[in-house]
Amino acid sequence: MENGAMKSNLYLYKKKIINLIMLSLSVLAAVISIIPLIFIIYYTVSKGISHLNIDFFIEMPKPVGEPGGGMANAIVGTLIMLGIGGSIGIPVGMSAGIYLSEFGKNKFGNVVRFFADVLSGVPSIVVGVVVYSLVVIPMKQFSALAGGIALGIIMIPTITRTTDEMIKIVPQSLRETALSLGIPKWKTTVSIVLKTAWKGIATGILLALSRAAGETAPLLFTALGNRFWSTSIGQPIASLTVYIYDYAKAPFEDWNNQAWTAALVLIILISILSLLFKIITRSRYNIKQ
Amino acid sequence: MLIVDKYLRTIKNNTQENMLNKKSILILLFIFFTSGYSFAQLQLNGAGATFPAVIYTKWFDEYKKLTGVQFNYQVIGSGGGIRQVLEGTVDFGATDGPMSDKQLLEVKDKRGTEVLHIPTVIGAVVISYNIPGVGKGLKLTGQVLADIFLGKIYYWNDIEIQKINPGINLPASAILVAHRSDGSGTTYIFTDYLSKVSKEWQIKVGTGKAVNWPVGLGGKGNDGVAGFIKQTEGSIGYIELAFAVHNNINYAFMKNKNGYFIEPSFKSVTAATGEILNNMPADLRVSITDADGKDSYPISGFTWLLVYKNMKNEEKANALVDFLYWAMDKGQSYTTDLYYSPLPNKIIKMCRNKINTITANGKKIK
Repeated sequence: MENGAMKSNLYLYKKKIINLIMLSLSVLAAVISIIPLIFIIYYTVSKGISHLNIDFFIEMPKPVGEPGGGMANAIVGTLIMLGIGGSIGIPVGMSAGIYLSEFGKNKFGNVVRFFADVLSGVPSIVVGVVVYSLVVIPMKQFSALAGGIALGIIMIPTITRTTDEMIKIVPQSLRETALSLGIPKWKTTVSIVLKTAWKGIATGILLALSRAAGETAPLLFTALGNRFWSTSIGQPIASLTVYIYDYAKAPFEDWNNQAWTAALVLIILISILSLLFKIITRSRYNIKQ
Repeated sequence: MLIVDKYLRTIKNNTQENMLNKKSILILLFIFFTSGYSFAQLQLNGAGATFPAVIYTKWFDEYKKLTGVQFNYQVIGSGGGIRQVLEGTVDFGATDGPMSDKQLLEVKDKRGTEVLHIPTVIGAVVISYNIPGVGKGLKLTGQVLADIFLGKIYYWNDIEIQKINPGINLPASAILVAHRSDGSGTTYIFTDYLSKVSKEWQIKVGTGKAVNWPVGLGGKGNDGVAGFIKQTEGSIGYIELAFAVHNNINYAFMKNKNGYFIEPSFKSVTAATGEILNNMPADLRVSITDADGKDSYPISGFTWLLVYKNMKNEEKANALVDFLYWAMDKGQSYTTDLYYSPLPNKIIKMCRNKINTITANGKKIK
């Protein structure tokens, strides 16, 4: 009897120890996973903050090798291309996602799903080359439009797949209730299904936008770059990421510092974007109490 | 049930409001994007060489202040610049290695117009090194340099190097060779020089914007090679003079054709043009490496703007011609501060004549 109790005690003890080891291992893994993020934020803030001043936001870049200047044109350029990319990627991606989850439970749907997955794995530089030969060469012009199209293509698969997945988890009962009240299917999809899944879809859109904002490779030979102020979509345009690439490898210290500042501004920009999305989705969703 | 009911109510309430919002946003977006066209300043786009990037961006910045015309120059390398001129995606290109005859035919075929080479400034390719304890002014000859880049001399204290540097204490360490990995006009000037001074180099490697290097590591751009030399003890490489000066990297004095060891400077580079002044080819594509004259620095080269002889856009053609005139005149005064050499007057005259042949839709401009 006593022996048995001791045995079960020992068993419990063993379990507790294993539990403790495993738990600390997973905590350790969690800590390790955020260490790079901490380093990234620490370095960009500590190195970038010194050049973060009003000039950076309102001035144009100076000639090669001259200190000072800012990146006003690059900040606007990044936003314009995100706008173009978004106005291509969001409608196309969302519509495709809606089709897949609501109507695409057939062979064609599977094919589309497969290609969306493949597309999301295509390296962004390949998208850049394709847009270069499909848009830049026929137009005989590097342009913000070409850069935006490249970003839009990069956004599509992410948005398609998150929309698809998010709509899938909308309870079937909601759809049935709506249909039973005599609401047509299209209206059910747009006004009920989409609205319920909106928060998840918005997260997907945000993810796609942030990824696009951080792309350099597809912009190098589509948007090219611009040393001057330009908001025309038919002309080459500057972007923060291309400036980071150029300035970080330049043999001028002031430029290297500005590259850090540009990185910091890019992170801030994406944070603001994500905050904006949080606010928008919250106000849309406060029906649920 | 209750949830759905509430949903439906909010949808009804929001629909009209939303429609209005969306419409106004769309209109705003439309205005935003199209406004660029109506208020856009005249802009010409160009791309190419890294070698003259320092002076080109300075020129275009000053010229914009002066006239308001924007010349957007993107640094992508000489090879890339020629490629974009062939594709017609830019209004002008820039290169330090002239286009080949084959490329000139190709562009005529593809773009329906000739491409002109307009020399803008002259620059020096310097042999930079990082040897602890050895400052600026290590002496090198073309033959020794070729042997180093062929991998035949691979220790700094090699007898061939010591022979020409009697007072200097060279270490017994290995020579690490650095070269460009991208298509580069700087490489063109450098290999053009080596081909002239070494038969073996000419046969084994030859001249080009990108060649098969017998030894060494590649870096991207003048900045990439400069960074490599700065960080690596025992390294040697070739970069544009301005990049060596900006990075405080030591560079060698080269023995010229007449047997003098010459420091690269704007004076010794200008001197290198002496030989060709009287027999400049009509298309202005010319090499001035290994030039005659006792003050000539032997690894010097022109850098060219590539412009279409006949442009379709009249406004752009006018702006480009005006700029080229400015570059030949006021623009030349910026050169020496930025470690480039101005063009000799005789060549400027030839350039003006060349610029005068530019047309817009067949119509003469100047």
